[in-house]
Amino acid sequence: MRAPNEIDFWRGFALATIFINHVPGIFYERFTHRNVSLSDSAELFVFLAGWSLRYVVANPGQPLSAGRLVLRLVGRAVGIYAAQILITVLAIALIAAAALYYETPFILEWHNAAAFFEAPVEAHVGLVLLSHQLGYFNILPLYVVLMTGAPVIALLDRASPWLLLAASFALYLAALVFGINLPTWPVEGRWFLDPLTWQFIFVLGFLIARTDGGLGALARRNRRPLRLLALPFVIAGALVAWFHYSPSPMRVPDPKLLFLFDKTFLSPARLLHALALVAFFAGSFRYIAWALPPLASYLSMLGRNSLNVFCVGSVLSLAGQIARFEYGGGIGTDTGVIIIGIVALGVTGWVSEWRDRLRAREQPQVSPSSPPQVSSPPVSSRRAQPT
Amino acid sequence: MPSSAIASPAPLPNVAAKLETSKTIRVLAIGSSSTYGIGASSGTKNYPAQLTDILEKALKGINVEIINRGVSGEVAKTTAERLRVEVALTHPDLVLWQLGTNDALARVPIAEFEETVTSTIEWLKENKIDVVLVGLQYTARFARDDNYAAVRDTLRKIAAQQNILYVRRFEAMRYISSVRNQPPILSGDDLHLNDLGYHCMAEHIAHAVIANLFVRRFRPPTN
Repeated sequence: MRAPNEIDFWRGFALATIFINHVPGIFYERFTHRNVSLSDSAELFVFLAGWSLRYVVANPGQPLSAGRLVLRLVGRAVGIYAAQILITVLAIALIAAAALYYETPFILEWHNAAAFFEAPVEAHVGLVLLSHQLGYFNILPLYVVLMTGAPVIALLDRASPWLLLAASFALYLAALVFGINLPTWPVEGRWFLDPLTWQFIFVLGFLIARTDGGLGALARRNRRPLRLLALPFVIAGALVAWFHYSPSPMRVPDPKLLFLFDKTFLSPARLLHALALVAFFAGSFRYIAWALPPLASYLSMLGRNSLNVFCVGSVLSLAGQIARFEYGGGIGTDTGVIIIGIVALGVTGWVSEWRDRLRAREQPQVSPSSPPQVSSPPVSSRRAQPT
Repeated sequence: MPSSAIASPAPLPNVAAKLETSKTIRVLAIGSSSTYGIGASSGTKNYPAQLTDILEKALKGINVEIINRGVSGEVAKTTAERLRVEVALTHPDLVLWQLGTNDALARVPIAEFEETVTSTIEWLKENKIDVVLVGLQYTARFARDDNYAAVRDTLRKIAAQQNILYVRRFEAMRYISSVRNQPPILSGDDLHLNDLGYHCMAEHIAHAVIANLFVRRFRPPTN
């Protein structure tokens, strides 16, 4: 396994905080960075997903042909899709089991699950089309769409990274100005995370991860000024979150989504703040690793196995909500939920790597053409460090 | 069962004012499961759609436009954030906000819940938009749950303080349940109960809109 590194660490950080924030009302929610940050873990997660796309595309030491690249990216998209279907079905079963156990039909309405029980014919189609998403199970559908678009992103990047940036920005802007989002079905509504706007932070992650040119090299050359520039955004984002400030949607001029702090459409304020966090905290991993080695290695382990950890975390946070429902939202229950969560996420990461180690031992010569892994493929630690 | 036990009477001044100058009212239905929540019986509609039918039938020539933005299982705090953006983007005359069940399930602290709901209602009032609160569902098992009762009391209190229409689904459903003498178990019938509850809701909201309209039309305001 690769050594703890910055990208894996922050991915693990995003995963751990997503787990906590997806148990609404939990006591420990107040200690996550969301309270002092305009953007939250979702932005970080998608940005880093774009970043790790760079590793898949670059395939260090052996550039992939276009066909192989597309095949690999589509394979990853299918893997994420399968994960989304699996965790959704587990969540539905968990909700149904809770409703049966507590003899309480309204639990069936929890998290948008109602349609599965009341309109199963439509809901099954919606499940497969990703147009029906459970509450808090809305990040992977976005990720599936982004990975499905990844071949286009990667090939466009090969042709011209600046063209990719321009195209991605144009799509982002158009979606914001006209409020374009994918519809949900059968429950009438719109996607919680709009793929048309969120693709921009994914593409930015992908472009900034590049070390040998383009936006990434530009960012690395100007690290100090960027950090200084980021500081006011980081402070403003903290104040805004702390004082729960948001512009009144009625007062801001049209097109409103440009000026609001909207998560669904990833309003510019949230995007800028997320980028400022990256610029400000880039490089801080070295100090964290020095000061808190167990934390650095634990979160890096989560980050190395992000899909598995994400899936277990999603189901666990739902289980945590049911536990809080049963035992009340006291600090005792909440502490129990957190401890079980931290251990379970760690075990998930550890077991995933143990399996990989066993596999590596059984097949000593793993060729580079081995099936694409769902988690980030092994890369040299030098490359994984954004320097 | 008397209407007043199911829905507290309250004015919808902005909807009534809008109907004096326009033939169309726009309604935003938001909150937990406001879009589905109907038994799978064929041909049934969600309550916003039922409301449209009733209103359009009762008020000839009036066009009711419904925008559904429900996500079932959402706590009020999440809805409140979404609500402001949706209101700004869609400019409704009336917001139907279904809430409470999920906050009770998630054990959201009552004070936090109250603050969220009150501040959102005040914001809607400032922006001249009427709001109807749609309360918790009834289930026998939770009829005596303290937290559940606290959420219910809070909603009733807020509705009284703010003088807004509050549909007491819990009471309506409990009444239907007692009349039918149904065992409180998880069954198809229990979900059907929900169906009737929704129909009640649609009717009560429609009555409120219609009553307001007639008060305005035939009794000019004295002040």
